[in-house]
Amino acid sequence: MITRRWYRPQSKEANCREVGQVLQNYLDGNVEAGFTEKIEAHLEKCRDCGLERDTYQQIKSSLARQSPSVDSEAIDRLREFGSKLTEE
Amino acid sequence: MGDPGIDERTQREAFDRYVVPEIEVLYRVARSITRNPTDAEDLVQDTMLRAYRGIGRFDGRHPRAWLLTIMRNAQINRVRRKRPELLRDPDATMERLADEGSSEIGPENQVVESGYDAAVENAVGALPEKFRAVVELVDIQALSYQEAAQILDVPTGTVMSRLHRARTRIRKHLEDSGAYVNGRPT
Repeated sequence: MITRRWYRPQSKEANCREVGQVLQNYLDGNVEAGFTEKIEAHLEKCRDCGLERDTYQQIKSSLARQSPSVDSEAIDRLREFGSKLTEE
Repeated sequence: MGDPGIDERTQREAFDRYVVPEIEVLYRVARSITRNPTDAEDLVQDTMLRAYRGIGRFDGRHPRAWLLTIMRNAQINRVRRKRPELLRDPDATMERLADEGSSEIGPENQVVESGYDAAVENAVGALPEKFRAVVELVDIQALSYQEAAQILDVPTGTVMSRLHRARTRIRKHLEDSGAYVNGRPT
């Protein structure tokens, strides 16, 4: 979690350097609320940082789509295995 | 078969409460580790058996983390039985396990696809093993940093730094391949 010691609490908006350092943590929801607002204020205004965010967000979304569909027959067999285990 | 520390009914109830709901996650993680559906199913069965036997010593907190640790140890033992000469360095065990799996990629994964997702998939395939493993577990299988750390037996901070470096490499791979940059085709 990115916490207060990482940023300038007195500023209303993060700068490009700060956003660049924590962007992936921000996208993973790993930044404390006070800093999240400052990052978002910067992303609203800065085109380059906004594009950077979009790039990583697209990569993350694409990776999430690559989760293979669950083999339901394998899961059924494993549940059956568990049932037999507890019957013995 | 049972845990001598608790009665059978308590053992069954604990198994149903803590292990059964995690079967699907265990199977997904096992697929990532073994890269082979049959081995994955065997590994989950082994994990369930060990969990059932040891459930009397489980405190009921963080069952997924507990099960992932069991799975990691089960997989280490499975590989040790098959290839004892590979496991003289325990710290590198999980990376070796994953390396073994990566050599078993089937023809279905070699099909050439088009589009952005295929380009990202290729980029993941080109990652060094320790980076691919965290991407598989966190970004593809949706484990938390902590859960991935548990199965890889590394600190949470290591998972985070490897994940960030992996995504940066994916991004660079996409740029180098001329596919996409800044979220748009070049």
